[in-house]
Amino acid sequence: MRKQNNLICLLVLWSLLPFCWQIYTSFSTPESILNPFTYQENRWTLQNYIQILSANPPFWRYLYNSLLVGLTSTAITILIATPAAYSLSKAKQHLSNTLKLLLLAAALFPYVLLFLSLLEIARAIGIANNLFALSIPYSALSMPLAVLLLNSAFSDLPNELEEAAIVEGLGLFQRIRWILIPLIAPAIASTSIIVFLFSWNEYPIALTWISDSKLITLTVAIARIAGSSVYSVPYGAYAAATVLGAIPLILIVLLFQKQIVSGLTQGAIKG
Amino acid sequence: MNNRKIVKGIKYSNFKYLLLTLILVIFNILGIKAQSKKAVEINFLMPAPFAESTKDLVKEFNQDKNNKINIKVTKGPLETESVSDLAISSLLLGDNSFDVILIDITWLPKYAAAGWLVSLDQFIEKGEWESLAPGARLGNSYENKIYRWPFVADMGLLYWRSDLMPEPPKTPEELIDISLKLKQAGKVKYGYVWQGRQYEGLICVFLEVLNAFGGGWINDSNEITLSNKKSIQAANWLKRLISSGVSPKSVTNFSETEALQAFKEGNAALMRNWPYAWAELQKESSAVKGKVSIANMIAKNNQVPVSTLGSWGFSVLQGSKNKSEAYRAIKYLTSTNSQKRLFLNNGYTPTRIDLFKDKELISNSPILAMLGKALSSAKPRPETPYYAQISNILQTQISAILTDNKPIDEAMKLAEIKTRQIISSSGQK
Amino acid sequence: MYPILLLPALILLFGVFGIPIVRYIWLSFHTSSVLTDLLPIPNNGANWIRLFSDSRFWQDAIQTFRFAISSVILEILIAISIAILLNQTFKNRGIVRTITLLPWALPTTIMALSWRWIFNTPYGPIEQILTLFHLNSINILSSPKIAWFATVIADVWKTTPFIALIILAGLQTIPEDLYEAFKLEGGNEFSAFQKITLPLLQPYIFLGLLFRFAQAFGVFDLIQIMTGGGPASTTESLSLYAYLNALRYLDFGYSSTIIIATFILMIIFSLFTWILIRQTKSLLSIR
Repeated sequence: MRKQNNLICLLVLWSLLPFCWQIYTSFSTPESILNPFTYQENRWTLQNYIQILSANPPFWRYLYNSLLVGLTSTAITILIATPAAYSLSKAKQHLSNTLKLLLLAAALFPYVLLFLSLLEIARAIGIANNLFALSIPYSALSMPLAVLLLNSAFSDLPNELEEAAIVEGLGLFQRIRWILIPLIAPAIASTSIIVFLFSWNEYPIALTWISDSKLITLTVAIARIAGSSVYSVPYGAYAAATVLGAIPLILIVLLFQKQIVSGLTQGAIKG
Repeated sequence: MNNRKIVKGIKYSNFKYLLLTLILVIFNILGIKAQSKKAVEINFLMPAPFAESTKDLVKEFNQDKNNKINIKVTKGPLETESVSDLAISSLLLGDNSFDVILIDITWLPKYAAAGWLVSLDQFIEKGEWESLAPGARLGNSYENKIYRWPFVADMGLLYWRSDLMPEPPKTPEELIDISLKLKQAGKVKYGYVWQGRQYEGLICVFLEVLNAFGGGWINDSNEITLSNKKSIQAANWLKRLISSGVSPKSVTNFSETEALQAFKEGNAALMRNWPYAWAELQKESSAVKGKVSIANMIAKNNQVPVSTLGSWGFSVLQGSKNKSEAYRAIKYLTSTNSQKRLFLNNGYTPTRIDLFKDKELISNSPILAMLGKALSSAKPRPETPYYAQISNILQTQISAILTDNKPIDEAMKLAEIKTRQIISSSGQK
Repeated sequence: MYPILLLPALILLFGVFGIPIVRYIWLSFHTSSVLTDLLPIPNNGANWIRLFSDSRFWQDAIQTFRFAISSVILEILIAISIAILLNQTFKNRGIVRTITLLPWALPTTIMALSWRWIFNTPYGPIEQILTLFHLNSINILSSPKIAWFATVIADVWKTTPFIALIILAGLQTIPEDLYEAFKLEGGNEFSAFQKITLPLLQPYIFLGLLFRFAQAFGVFDLIQIMTGGGPASTTESLSLYAYLNALRYLDFGYSSTIIIATFILMIIFSLFTWILIRQTKSLLSIR
């Protein structure tokens, strides 16, 4: 029992320690940042947070940008992936396996490498510096995983249910809307959260698609934090920004822990 | 049936999300369309430190309604390379949101060759160019056209502790001797601190050492001389700084800020840094306030000391719709008055020649004369659109020499061969 | 089947995956740089010839493999332990599970910055502790021999929870009675792990391995923020090299060549692993 407890403590420490260090740094004065383990008077300060929050554009702007991209990409993904997953679950074994394999390959693809071409596309159709446009590649990139996850949910539904609905005279969209979607709602919820997290955390494409400093997303903004004193590395400000940027995610994990876990594992068990 | 309830619940929550998205959409659309039409807006992209320091100047300019120009400053990232990344992705996206960018001297050939910059020759009036200090005139042109107006001159300086030594070292040997003596006497923790991380700063340091030993990188006739005897001696000396304990091992992780931090805390006897450091060292928080002087770079007895020319300057972008207004705004920010204030408040070295003779400035600053001298001995880095590549090659090899014990002649030979590959492949289409 | 329902998804996927890949292949046979005013001009495969003699590319390829393989192996090992731990019953299991999940949910940029700060010389906590005990500084991020491992640690920290969850899901599918039956036959815990747990977990482990390897092979944000590729380019990954060629050197033709070459390397390696896994699988089933 004691051994188990020790291990659990170790696990918790390992997961939290780097983050705790950031919190600690974020409340430290510049002098105490440089000598973290020596005693100092007035070692605590809110200055780092004040600096981050009073910057121009203000920090919440980036949160808003990320939220906007996250929500639109999630909406687009779910809207497109749900019918696709349904259709896939009705396809012939052979075809559906081939398609699933292709989707798996796309899901495994190191998408970072697409940045150059996506940048060209953004230029060609003139959709740079547009947060809504940014959700198009985001939706496409999370599409393979979303379709696979939802497909496994659809495949679990008994066929009789739909057959009964057909007998009752319900059309395709009515069936999807009123029978199937309610039944796979949990899968939709967990897929949505995973897609949202992906969009929220994405960096390379946001880095190259958005050059307007008012439209950059949180991840890019954090990498770009600049200090108050012109030539010193703003460690405190970095730390404060990471803490602020992490809060929404901690909330998401706390609130949707169950959905995240089931979303991640669903695919694994049935895939 | 229970299902109905679920359906209802979902319908409601769906609606909630839909509404939320809709509100966000409307906000965003409204937010985009709100621009005043009165004055011509000129958007500057500057690295964060410059955006901070020019704040007041820009404010004053915009308050003067006679200007009919509204300067808007977009604050770029802190790190120089990230500013370049941002500028380039913006240019590649073709979004024309910036009229003017503040660019580093090494970016100019690349930006000019890519066709992004407007030649300033059409705007420059007779005699205007000559108002610049000769050192500041370097590094602003590509293929005989001027593309950049220098804003801040920057060159490497040797900072020394006047309380620890009567005069600064002049030769590489003296530097090592003095440092070791002071270190052994327990006066300082480190002898000499400089920029040793693998990045552009390392190249600036190395070029000064190269010149000190009479070596070179690329000469005027495009010959690469990295592996000749003198260049190898230079690399060897840099390595010896670390192995002999003159510089701490961690210097290989230092950029300007870390070096300044160590020097400011009184931990080092000597530092290589840019002019900005002077103002930082005069602040109350500095432990060495009043105990610092600056000097020219070291050099072998038979060599002239050379500083690497850093300098930032403004370029007008091709995509700008108001090019001549942009030029006027640039002229304002680089005027005698602006440069005077930036020198007094931020320690930015002026680029105009008259300011080096300005009585008020001279009486205010003990280092102005020294800065003028260093600027006249400053040398730009190779001016080629491939600068980023060849610099990276050299950075990697120098970094390997310093941190990985790579044999010096082997590393320098490799750097030379790779540099040649880049330069020669540039000839073919 | 209703193909029309699949169509939007397929179009989107084609636009974002298909077009770029075709474009890359096309561009890799062109010079498109400052020399050509950024316009593509055919160059008869000069990029590919250059790639084969470009030692930086091959060095980066080795580094990318080294990074991907070590972080994936470490992750799998740690993840199995975490999953077994979390599969037991104890107080506050839900909270512990949530905490374990946190590193995975944080954006890479945030965690990369955090780790850069932790490994900072001389102000990061590790260096500070060393000075506290008067030990020599180890200069983590500026020593070519260890800097790459620091990036592995950061990657392991972030992505282990993901694999741990997948393996945990696998563990929960193993019925308890299997273990009880095994115990009745006199097997100890360790051999139960070896004979029951591992073989039954295999598909989950392979799945995690596959996903993570692919992700680790494309590593970009982590390296760009933590080290920028240094020291002495020892942490530079292939995707970072491709990025530098495009955005710093403005050489789009060569950048595309690197990207396609990276794809090819990854496919070769995946096939190789696939075959290896099938071989071991058949070996296991013979036993």
